Amino acid sequence: MAKRISAALTLTNIQPYLLFAMSGFDNTDFFQSSYSVDDQNQGGYGYSDPNDPYSKQYEYSQPMGYSAPPGMMQPQQPYMGQIYQPTPAFTPVSPQSMYGSSFEDEPPLLEELGINFDHIWQKTLTVLHPLKAADGSIMNETDLAGPMVFCLAFGATLLLTGKIQFGYVYGISAIGCLGMYCLLNLMSMTGVSFGCVASVLGYCLLPMITLSSFGVLFSLQGMLGMILTATIIGWCSFSASKIFISALAMDGQQLLVAYPCALLYGVFALISVF
Amino acid sequence: MDFQQHGYRATKPRARASPPSGGPLLFDDTSSGPPPMNRGQDPGVGNLFADPMASAAMMYGSSLANQGKDIVNKEINRFMSVNKLKYFFAVDTRYVMKKLLLLMFPYTHQDWEVRYHRDTPLTPRHDVNAPDLYIPTMAFITYILLAGMALGIQKRFSPEVLGLCASTALVWIIIEVLVMLLSLYLLTVHTDLSTFDLVAYSGYKYVGMILTVLCGLLFGSDGYFAALAWSSCALMFFIVRSLKMKILSSFSADSMGVGTSAKPHFRLYITFALAAFQPIIIYWLTAHLVR
Repeated sequence: MAKRISAALTLTNIQPYLLFAMSGFDNTDFFQSSYSVDDQNQGGYGYSDPNDPYSKQYEYSQPMGYSAPPGMMQPQQPYMGQIYQPTPAFTPVSPQSMYGSSFEDEPPLLEELGINFDHIWQKTLTVLHPLKAADGSIMNETDLAGPMVFCLAFGATLLLTGKIQFGYVYGISAIGCLGMYCLLNLMSMTGVSFGCVASVLGYCLLPMITLSSFGVLFSLQGMLGMILTATIIGWCSFSASKIFISALAMDGQQLLVAYPCALLYGVFALISVF
Repeated sequence: MDFQQHGYRATKPRARASPPSGGPLLFDDTSSGPPPMNRGQDPGVGNLFADPMASAAMMYGSSLANQGKDIVNKEINRFMSVNKLKYFFAVDTRYVMKKLLLLMFPYTHQDWEVRYHRDTPLTPRHDVNAPDLYIPTMAFITYILLAGMALGIQKRFSPEVLGLCASTALVWIIIEVLVMLLSLYLLTVHTDLSTFDLVAYSGYKYVGMILTVLCGLLFGSDGYFAALAWSSCALMFFIVRSLKMKILSSFSADSMGVGTSAKPHFRLYITFALAAFQPIIIYWLTAHLVR
């Protein structure tokens, strides 16, 4: 009885080998199975000891092993397929596509770079509607493409007024992101990653771009400019805090998160006004 | 099933753990740890790792990154425990509002005792008397920015001056905390005041400083001195009442040695010295901004 159980377990151990044997020289499966074998050798699932008798059993039951416990193998197939291949692992893929990277099998360039325009647009809309409740799950993907574009646009509008201050923009945003990252990690129950913080702060820089483009048209140092600056700072920090609150599930702390964001965007406004 | 999972776990540094909440997951969080890899491009995986050397190099790189992160965390944890620091940041908006009001007008507050819950002090969320580090940190940064703005209004601004102001204020905090620690140690006062508590109490003066500078900018010299007097008195009262509980009440604990009668006097002196130090430093750090 114990022998049968251990035989069945050994069969699951060597199933990747079966895949390897069955589907020909399949690079992906070969890669998988090498890991599993390493693991098994390290884990020492009794593989080394009864090597000889069970290897004989393996050779004997090879065709059986393929088809006999389908119930045991099938739940494992979609598991592997989900991770390594979109299709179930038993479809043998031709070797050329693994090696030579055939052109049709490549993913689209934007997907490979990680730029998803739809999500970027959604996040931009979330920033532009500060009074609408934010969806916390959109911040799971940290893409820095949008924030980079916004930083460049901000620097470009500053350039139009004659201030060549790209260095200040990047420096302040780096220090501000670092500070917010430390603060949010200390204040929230769940931690937050640096990319998420940078992404959110970069997206909420969008209203600041409108401020600096107004600065191109008329000087912001009057009363109207002050009011506009205050409004835009409030808008930016409100959106940023709203997204942080919903993404990190912090309750009763929105104003507390909004205040450091307001300080950071205040420094940006200082650059655009003065 | 178990072995398959183990096989999966061995390849885990390559395939990242899934982020907390669901949704149409096209792209993974690219910032945490291992180099970016998208699950969406599964045929691409085979393309990327056709060369075992490249995949081995990527594995090595990600393990190096993880090691680096572990080393940084270990070094930080050697100096200060992040959990203890998190206690001081567990605040919410109501607490901050009440504390700011208390700092500016402490005369009507009755109960200054820090409340405990089974030997651990309550977090600032639940107890308005507990010290926190959010207010001092924010007040410090606001003070630096306000100093920059004040100097800019007077056309005396340059980034070096801002750095000078920031480092001066920081050094004064460090000096104050060190002197407090030294005096508490020399007089063998056994309190449960940790270094972070002292930093917190020392940082509360920045709230008064901000108020003083604002009044000085808005209302000129008279406004500056009036605000200076008001915030100094409020802050002195606050410090004395808060630390009285912690420093002076602990003399009953160490009643072993002789000369316990001398102890309360020294503790009183310490508390009042700390309180008297506040107006001096407020004046020192703000006078040059509203001249």
